Amino acid sequence: MRVSLNWLKEYIDIPVSLDELANSLTMVGLEVESIERLGEKYKNFLIGQVLEVNAHPKADKLTICKVNVGKEICPIVCGAPNVRTGQFVAVGKEGAIIPRNQHDPEGKPFVLSRVKIRGIESQGMICSEYELDLGEDKEGILVLDPTSEVGIPLADYLGLNDTVLEIGITPNRPDAMSHLGIAREIGAILNRDFRIPVTNLKESKRSIGDFVSVLIKDFQNCPRYTGRLIFNIKIEPSPKWLQNRLTSVGIRPINNIVDVTNYVLMECGHPLHAFDYDKLTGQSIIIRSAEKNETFTTLDHKPRVLREDTLLICDSKFPIAIAGVMGGLNSEISQSTVNVFLESAYFDPQSIRRTSKHFGISTDASQRFERGADPNITEWAVNRASYLIQQIAGGEVLIGSIDVYPKKINTKEVELRIDKLNELLGINLTTESVSSYLNKIFIKPKDAKSTSDLNKSIIFEIPTFRPDVEREIDLIEEVARLYGYDNIETKARSNIQFPEDPPEKDFQNEIRQFFIGNGFFEVVSNSMQKIDNATISEEKIVKISNPISADMAILRTSLLPSILGVIQTNISHGSKNIRFFEIGKVYCKVNSDRYDGAINGFYEEDRIILAISGQALPIGWVEKPRFIDIYDLKGEVEALFRKIFLDNMKFIPYSNTNALSEMGLHIEIKGKYAGLVGKVSKDLLNKFDIDQDVYFAEMNIESLTKNFKVEQKFSPLSIYPSVMRDIAIIIDENISTDDVEKQIKECGSTYLRKVELFDVYVGEQIGPNNKSRTFALEFMAEDHTMKQKEVDQIMQKIMKDLEIKFNAIIRKQEMSD
Amino acid sequence: MLLKINDIKQKALIDINSVKDMAKLDVFRIKYLARKGLVADLFDDLKNIETTERPAIGKSLNELRNIIQTLFDEKKKFIEALTHQQKQILDLTLPGRPKWVGTQHPITRTLEEIKNIFFRMGFSEAFGPEIEDDYHNFEALNFPKDHPARDMQDTFFIDEKILLRTHTSPVQIRVMENHQPPVRIIAPGRVYRNEAVSARSYCLFHQVEGLYVDVGVTFSELKGTLVAFAKQFYGSEIKYRFRPSFFPFTEPSAEMDITCFICKGKGCRICKNTGWLEILGCGMVDPGVYKYVGYDPEKYTGYAFGMGIERITMLRYGIDDIRILFENDIRFLQQF
Ligand SMILES: [Zn+2]
Repeated sequence: MRVSLNWLKEYIDIPVSLDELANSLTMVGLEVESIERLGEKYKNFLIGQVLEVNAHPKADKLTICKVNVGKEICPIVCGAPNVRTGQFVAVGKEGAIIPRNQHDPEGKPFVLSRVKIRGIESQGMICSEYELDLGEDKEGILVLDPTSEVGIPLADYLGLNDTVLEIGITPNRPDAMSHLGIAREIGAILNRDFRIPVTNLKESKRSIGDFVSVLIKDFQNCPRYTGRLIFNIKIEPSPKWLQNRLTSVGIRPINNIVDVTNYVLMECGHPLHAFDYDKLTGQSIIIRSAEKNETFTTLDHKPRVLREDTLLICDSKFPIAIAGVMGGLNSEISQSTVNVFLESAYFDPQSIRRTSKHFGISTDASQRFERGADPNITEWAVNRASYLIQQIAGGEVLIGSIDVYPKKINTKEVELRIDKLNELLGINLTTESVSSYLNKIFIKPKDAKSTSDLNKSIIFEIPTFRPDVEREIDLIEEVARLYGYDNIETKARSNIQFPEDPPEKDFQNEIRQFFIGNGFFEVVSNSMQKIDNATISEEKIVKISNPISADMAILRTSLLPSILGVIQTNISHGSKNIRFFEIGKVYCKVNSDRYDGAINGFYEEDRIILAISGQALPIGWVEKPRFIDIYDLKGEVEALFRKIFLDNMKFIPYSNTNALSEMGLHIEIKGKYAGLVGKVSKDLLNKFDIDQDVYFAEMNIESLTKNFKVEQKFSPLSIYPSVMRDIAIIIDENISTDDVEKQIKECGSTYLRKVELFDVYVGEQIGPNNKSRTFALEFMAEDHTMKQKEVDQIMQKIMKDLEIKFNAIIRKQEMSD
Repeated sequence: MLLKINDIKQKALIDINSVKDMAKLDVFRIKYLARKGLVADLFDDLKNIETTERPAIGKSLNELRNIIQTLFDEKKKFIEALTHQQKQILDLTLPGRPKWVGTQHPITRTLEEIKNIFFRMGFSEAFGPEIEDDYHNFEALNFPKDHPARDMQDTFFIDEKILLRTHTSPVQIRVMENHQPPVRIIAPGRVYRNEAVSARSYCLFHQVEGLYVDVGVTFSELKGTLVAFAKQFYGSEIKYRFRPSFFPFTEPSAEMDITCFICKGKGCRICKNTGWLEILGCGMVDPGVYKYVGYDPEKYTGYAFGMGIERITMLRYGIDDIRILFENDIRFLQQF
């Protein structure tokens, strides 16, 4: 909310500096977010009067003016066609920053200096509306009101000698949404009284009761309705002081009547509404709920279809306003308005909130009503407005006001235990000092004598302008903020209870650090995606009902589209060598809560994705460049499995292509599907406009972390040497290397420690559909040095086994060392 | 015989001069030093010499062999050195074989550091779903229906009752529903806000939530804990302040500011000329929340706090556009 310092000063003296004021408001919970000195922009601009206009000797279109700027008379070279003797004009002096340069295509500001224009010195500049940023007219200079005072700052002329504080009001503080409200808080901070403005209006002989009656049909949502009638007013623009007040807080002046209602709103925080009395049908005001599908056109010219929970202000026949939110076009104050009915009501916050949300209308009025207005200020507010209207627009204020308020809303009573306050805050205040803090904000003890220090519990009465204070804890907060959070001691607890269980290992971070160490960039990407990028069946997708855009309409079902988006961005920026990983969630709907880990029928799964593309090695002078292939990626995945000592895992090739990949492997851990490794399909790459191969592996994090070997047991190192043998076999190429390895291990006995594939050959010599694979085998015993003969026996067994099982041809068997 | 020896010596001295590479050197070796070479021939001839002369001539022959061997060895060394030089194998000014170097994303890096500080203070870690229900995200956190406080957080909805959590605070409720005090946790995670994407706001971000409920927890201790955190994270020299604020689920509520580390409190664009930077929101758990989770508000008190990881990351590294964090441009990632 914008708060004018000059306006505030009408209600309270502020004998401290601006910075001090701003800081202390912030420290009681009214955060001053910025301070704007309105006149700052027009520093070094003065009001001048043109005394003479003479032709420039060297330029036809220029004139040399003599301008009186108060302290001096300056020669100013001017190019405007409309400059005339006697005009009052805005003069920029040396050092002024011209807000917009007419000769710059972007209108950038520039600093004015003393210059010679075609040989004639110009000691300033007479400005146009455009240059001053006050309008769009560039054709000539801005001519000011002829009654202006020569030599005063332009800022003063424009009513800008004010400072505006932008204060962030939290939703619990409707009482602070006005200048009087802020003045009340300043009073509490500075221990000063604030002044309540006058309402001493003159009433006529005619009585309001003869001209209008009010009927509330819904007391639940409209507990109080107050009104006044003012006849024979004259609609005009508001006087300058009123316009300046409104402009300074960001409200556009409209006419004297509407401006007064807005002024009173910003003054005391209570919304008012002015109706054109002559546009009402019949002499009655009825407050009722809307009927189903009733329609109504609001002030903003929009027709609205109402709901049954919309509260309406109506005349005897038609709705004339949506209560507390917006008035109607049919009863609007216009140029021809003569008689005005002023409304000052109190509406139920929830009702206003529902209506404002439903129609998407948030007004100064609705914001205050939905946070909670003060039901007991309505009469004062309508009197204040009537008084001002009488001052400004003339008119006859009819005697009396209408005030329908059948059930008075009284002050609340809240009990506060001093010990509870001190215990919670960790301080030690006396009963007396607690009472004196609350007294500053008009929260008073029910029994004035109860504040002695012997009394450990007091009942306080909460004024109706503080709807947020309802419970003991609310009073504790009020005391805390006035006492000052900074005055509460900062201390750490001395007897902390530490968790008894050993800390859980952060597997995700261990995996993260592993891939970073292996030269991958970690990425963090958007989990909201296009529906086209979903990888699961339609009914399982989690769709957002109110997405920002179609590009972010669902929650991702795979990390692949997210990372392809990232790859695309990088390729377009010229980075073609990609090594990315991301740890993130994917989401789906499941049938029931019995689905392990699902909440509310939704399942979230942590996954990791690796994606590589481009060159296999960084550019260097030694190695020849080559492109990444699937084995690069598989190697990275295998390295992770070795790192976490994962056994019982299996790669299962699948030949049928799917939407994601055109070739690849499923990863199974302990017989359960855990992810896949593959080459991204051409279709998918095309969708992302990527024209280089991308390989990826996406795995379920839980199946990795579940099988992470946390405590690896040490096995003693053998003191006996190992024996190495190579074996080359030719078998059908469709038999997987994994299966062959497994077979070798099975019959290799405990002496066989390691089997490693180190050569693969396909060629005519070994026949079609065959593949030669060479393995290195390492044998070792823990209790003796193995003899060659012993190893020979095992090798014989292995070879025989392979021959039977796979129809293998043993090419050679070599000793190696 | 001696003449012959001398003659071979002279020839070898001439021949070695014309040796320029390893192949020629090998020819030289075969000619003079091989088993059938000239020197060996002379040794063969030795048996035809008078016994009395043999020692003297033998000595000369040995000398000859040593000389030629030396010629050969030196030439070999020379040629090898020359070859190395030509191939530049030992140019140590050349760069090594390059390796890929990876980096941790600044968001997870910041998160990790924050987590570790709270772990050292005895906090455990807790998690909750991102797809949350209205009850946990709002209602049980004391956000009444039809209350303006809900406007503080624009929400993505899945259906009427299900939404994308707007903060990590629902984890507080889930933890308290399942554990009796003392409860001392932090809850990191991703949250969503339905706001237009701009340099200052993104549709999702990350938070770390903290909660401590026990007998006798005070506001004073809340300050103590968060000041200890801030000093460890931002440095012991920072100045701080707690100012009153509003969150429906805490009361009293506060926001913690530290002196702007960019302008050192003098006022700059980043701190909007206030000299202060807001780093977190906090407060004492509102007794209203205890009612939802079945804690006795007369028996227990506690505090809660929450901070935005992106904001902290951006302040820390001087990043002025939040979108760059989610763009993952390698030229950006490389800098961390
Ligand atoms: Zn700063």
